[in-house]
This record gives sequence, structure tokens and C-alpha cells, in this order.
Amino acid sequence: MASRYDRAITVFSPDGHLFQVEYAQEAVKKGSTAVGIRGTNIVVLGVEKKSVAKLQDERTVRKICALDDHVCMAFAGLTADARVVINRARVECQSHKLTVEDPVTVEYITRFIATLKQKYTQSNGRRPFGISALIVGFDDDGIPRLYQTDPSGTYHAWKANAIGRSAKTVREFLEKNYTEDAIANDNEAIKLAIRALLEVVQSGGKNIELAIIRRNQPLKMFSAKEIELQVSEIEKEKEEAEKKKSKKST
Amino acid sequence: MAATFFGEVVKAPCRAGTEEEEEEDDEGRRETPEDREVRRQLAKKREVRLLQGQTKTSLEVPLLEKYPCSKFIIAIGSNAVAFLSSFVMNSGVWEEVGCTKLWNEWCRTTDTVHLSPTEAFCVFYRLKSNPSVFGSCPRKNMQITILTCRHITEYKTPEAPSSLPSPFLKALKTQTYKDAVCCSLLEQPNIAHDLPAAVLSYCQVWKIPAVLYLCYTDVMQLDLVTVEAFKPALSSRSLAGLAKNIPQSTEMLKRLMTTSEIQSNIYT
Repeated sequence: MASRYDRAITVFSPDGHLFQVEYAQEAVKKGSTAVGIRGTNIVVLGVEKKSVAKLQDERTVRKICALDDHVCMAFAGLTADARVVINRARVECQSHKLTVEDPVTVEYITRFIATLKQKYTQSNGRRPFGISALIVGFDDDGIPRLYQTDPSGTYHAWKANAIGRSAKTVREFLEKNYTEDAIANDNEAIKLAIRALLEVVQSGGKNIELAIIRRNQPLKMFSAKEIELQVSEIEKEKEEAEKKKSKKST
Repeated sequence: MAATFFGEVVKAPCRAGTEEEEEEDDEGRRETPEDREVRRQLAKKREVRLLQGQTKTSLEVPLLEKYPCSKFIIAIGSNAVAFLSSFVMNSGVWEEVGCTKLWNEWCRTTDTVHLSPTEAFCVFYRLKSNPSVFGSCPRKNMQITILTCRHITEYKTPEAPSSLPSPFLKALKTQTYKDAVCCSLLEQPNIAHDLPAAVLSYCQVWKIPAVLYLCYTDVMQLDLVTVEAFKPALSSRSLAGLAKNIPQSTEMLKRLMTTSEIQSNIYT
């Protein structure tokens, strides 16, 4: 098996694999699902909330974090690795602002995070970061952006994507349902994110967390009530669609 | 030297240089006669006990002699068990007829004399309403279905792992199993492991028709998407007619999920 070439990060296998990086991608799949959607005037991040232990303070278990006023990210994978990456990114955002007197662009901070991750795939004695991140925000030009990074240090722009457990199922759902109509207005984009998560979230709306950024507005986290409202609207729409279907068939 | 499939390397010399782990550690590695004796004593204490139904008294006779059956379904692993509980056992009334408890040196309890009263390794159920599922048929007409899961990284294929449609179902059957399987067969060089392999081997030797439905998934803990990947098996002859109420089953599955969420703070 791969055992001879998977202990040292700096060693390629004969057929060109970096096994530690590939194993890090497996670690990402152990985190709960996160989905990002780029709308016309809005960017949405939805995550499957982990069930919190009884005595644990819920506010300290967050998957969606602001990096700056206009950029935020959701991650999947090792919690501690995410904390380190987020802290470095936050410092970089402020440092950039002080140095060039402009806030970072979403692409800049994504590239920073991806470069950081790539360094750890080439250093002796360090393992890669076991997280993938979805980074969303608006640039000064008012265009919404969504980027995804993975443990190897690659980053790409996406219209919609998912990371973490069952990400493939969610991505297939998005490929079928991400249409111009679906993101026509903000509410529809939010509903699409929730519907995508409901495909794989075990126990419905109460285990979903949602955040949005609208153009020129700060990050807004949805309350549990607001999410429940959206979920019940989605369920109503589903019922109506099913009724129409059964009417058509009869 | 074994043949390689799809580029993985088997026992080739390492070009990365000498690995410290390979050097012989004379002090730590060699097994003393005392170690061997301790191991032998522990092995003697291994025990498998078959207990009967609700009374939990020992069953002297093999279970299949007391309750002969034509269909025997085994689910191994949390996802397979959840599938069986919510889709098959949710329809119809099933009664517990027995369970097995075991102890070996890898068990976490140190009590070797009394097997733990709560932890059954395996529980046997029979369908009250349908005598043919556990009926008075000779063993020759028995058909066995095994359901289990395996991690997708153990699936050997020339395709890249990220392109695989996880989770997916593969089947492996004995020579005497003549019915159609509901998914593609498990390709070489992949093999079955552990208990499912043992059951299939036994069935192949004794010419009992048996089929293994193996779900490759990247979530080994209880997961909705993985459990639903077993659904095609409901169309096979062995499980046909046993799952009656699909919407109710999905509800029961959701309830199973909420009651078994494991807290782990390492991954978010």
C-alpha cells in the first residue's frame, strides 16, 4: 500500500502522489457540511451546526467567522487548524489596510490563505492544514465573490460550492438547482443554500446556521427563528409542488 | 513481490532514505516466554455465549436449529444496522429471539468471568407475522443477505477518489446465489474483510446462497446519505416485501440520527 511514501510530507510517491495532502483532504470530510452561494447582490454561507454538549457555551463553537467587515469564511475540518488560519488571515487583513490604506480584496485574502496552506505542504516536519475554506465577500467594485481553498493550497472561484461531510451530494444538488432564476433575488439565494443543506443535514432547520453579506453591508448572522421561517417556507413550497405533480398525473 | 494495481507500491525499497522505524529495537521487540504465556492464558479466556430471547438463558442448541429460517439477514456496522432497523424492522413486528455476547482480550471490560449484561455483540430477531422468514424449511433453502460498510479510501480503482460517486453499493455473491443483484459486482482487486468475508466463505463452502451488499462511503459514523445508499437492496429478492412503509422509515431514520450524535471537538 501507500505506507512507504505517506509518512514524510516532502516525499512524492513514484506515481506522483503527496499522500499526506490527500489524507488531509479526508480530514476535511470529517467536518460537518458548509455551503456557499454567490448571488447577484448577495453572498450566502450556510453550515451544518454541530450539536453542542450540554455544558458547552454555544457561542464558542462557530463555523462561520468574519475575517474583516466585508469578508467572511466558513471552514470544514480540524478546528484547531482553522483557528490558526483564521487568526493569521485576520491579522493580514488589518496589516494590509494599514499598509496600503485599502481593505483586502476577497481574492487577495484567499490567495494569502492558500499560500499559507501550500507552504505547509512543502515544509519538513510540518503536516498540511486539515481544513478547506469557503471565503465570501464583496470587493470595492461591488462584485460578489466566492472562493474555495483546500489543504493542498489550491484556490478557485465558484458560483456555488460545498465542503465537508457529504459535500458531493450537496454539490450535485447545486449543479441541478443553481440557475439564474434561483439566484434572481436575495431571498431565493438564501433558500437555495438552505435547501442544499437540508439534503444532508440530519435533523432539519435547527441544526443549520446561516450568514449573508449584502453589497455595502456588514455580515449578518441569521437567528434560529429566521432560519425556521425560511425552512417552513421551503417545506410549504415543496408540498405545493408535490400537490401540483399529483394533480397533473391524475 | 506482489503485483501492483493502479500504481500503489508493494514492498519496494524506499527511495526516501532509511526509515528509523525499520531499525531493529532489540530491547523492545523481542517477545519473552512470559509474554507468550500471558497471551496464551488470555486466549484461553475468550468466550462466545449464545443467549436465548428475553430470558437471557444460554442456548445449547444452535440458533438456526431452534428457529430454522429461509431468509437470514445480517447487518454489520452502524449504518447497515440503522438501515435494517428503520426500513425493514420498522415494517412488521419483529421479536428478539436471541443474542450473542463475547469476550476476548481486546474487549474493554476487565471482567472475564461475567460478560457485560448490557452489551450484546449481536442480537437476533425474527418476523412474527411471516413464518417463511423464519419458517420450518431445511437449511438448504436458506438465503443469506449481509449488509455492511467500508471506507471509500479502501476501494482500489484507477479513477481518482474524488471522482467516485460516494457512497455507492457493490455486491459479492456465492456461486449458488442465482437471483439478480441490485448493483454492480465488486471488482478486483477489492476484497471483502472481517465478518462479512467469514460469512461469505462459510456459505460458499457449504453451498448456501448468500449475497453481500457492501456500501463504500466516506462517513463511517451514522449518516443519512450512507444509510439511504442501501435502498437499492430493498428491490432484491431477499429483502423484497420486507420494507413496507418507506416515508415512515425515513422519519424513523431521522430520529435514530438525533439520538446518536457523537460530540467531537476535533473536527468542525
